[in-house]
Amino acid sequence: MRPVSRLYFEDVVLGETVETPAMTITEAHRSLYEGLTSDTATEPGRVPDLLALCVATGLGWRTARPALVVLAFMGLEWEIVQPLGVGATIHGRSRTATKRPLREGGFLVEEHEIVDQRGEVIQRGRFSFLVSKRPTAGAA
Amino acid sequence: MLAGVNLGPAGSDVKRPAWYPTRRMTAPGRRYFEEIEVGEEYESPGRTVTETDIVLFAGLSGDYNVLHTDAELMRRSIFRERIAHGLLGLAIQAGLLSRATQPYATLAFVGLRWKFKGPIKIGDTIRVQARVTAKRETSKPDRGLVTLERKILNQRDEIVQEGETDLMVERRRP
Repeated sequence: MRPVSRLYFEDVVLGETVETPAMTITEAHRSLYEGLTSDTATEPGRVPDLLALCVATGLGWRTARPALVVLAFMGLEWEIVQPLGVGATIHGRSRTATKRPLREGGFLVEEHEIVDQRGEVIQRGRFSFLVSKRPTAGAA
Repeated sequence: MLAGVNLGPAGSDVKRPAWYPTRRMTAPGRRYFEEIEVGEEYESPGRTVTETDIVLFAGLSGDYNVLHTDAELMRRSIFRERIAHGLLGLAIQAGLLSRATQPYATLAFVGLRWKFKGPIKIGDTIRVQARVTAKRETSKPDRGLVTLERKILNQRDEIVQEGETDLMVERRRP
């Protein structure tokens, strides 16, 4: 078997757009999320805003691009553009805006959008990550 | 309470039972924009984050990153064990604070600026401290923007996450 391919700091291409598969947010998602967190939607029939963000980060691991070796999620600036109803289908779209090498690893800023089935942007913002550099030859 | 009620997709014509709140819930005790004061402080109850929370969150979000799911690999990492998803901490924080405060007449969650400063590990007990830092009127006379500064502290009083959230809050009707 070939080893799982991974994306390191050096492999990240600035400006390249990555699209995720889509997922329909159901009553089951809403119910599980509200039970787990006790965070609720502002109105009945709506998806809690942070639930959409959580699902979008999960979808981010299911792209054609190999999985990025993330050492830490550093932070986010996020804007909720419009509310989402239960039953909506969302997907994510992202691009790397900033890449800065550090002594160990590298720092990335990614611009993210959550888009619904009509193509409208529901939420958007920026994530910052600390990611791993490609291991040097000889290391595991 | 809502078992069996299918609201259907947004904007669909699915009939709601008569008792089901159709628009904003107007429960008594919701605080309007005018009643919230800059400088108000809130502290939530504590909550112990368990392995179950992390496993459920991985399943719900689809984020199965090894940081949260591979105990053997993480034993050899700088964290020494699996850590909670940053967004799980953020979501639990939102729930904890809602248990600590009289609810605002919130129309919408507008946005946030957030930093993940340290790991939340299995068995850690977290709580939230929050403070109203700003209130701003908007172009619409029926609402205003309220900014809260929030911190998540663990059982050692270390700040593991912190940031600001903006909420659009209804004004009292004239």
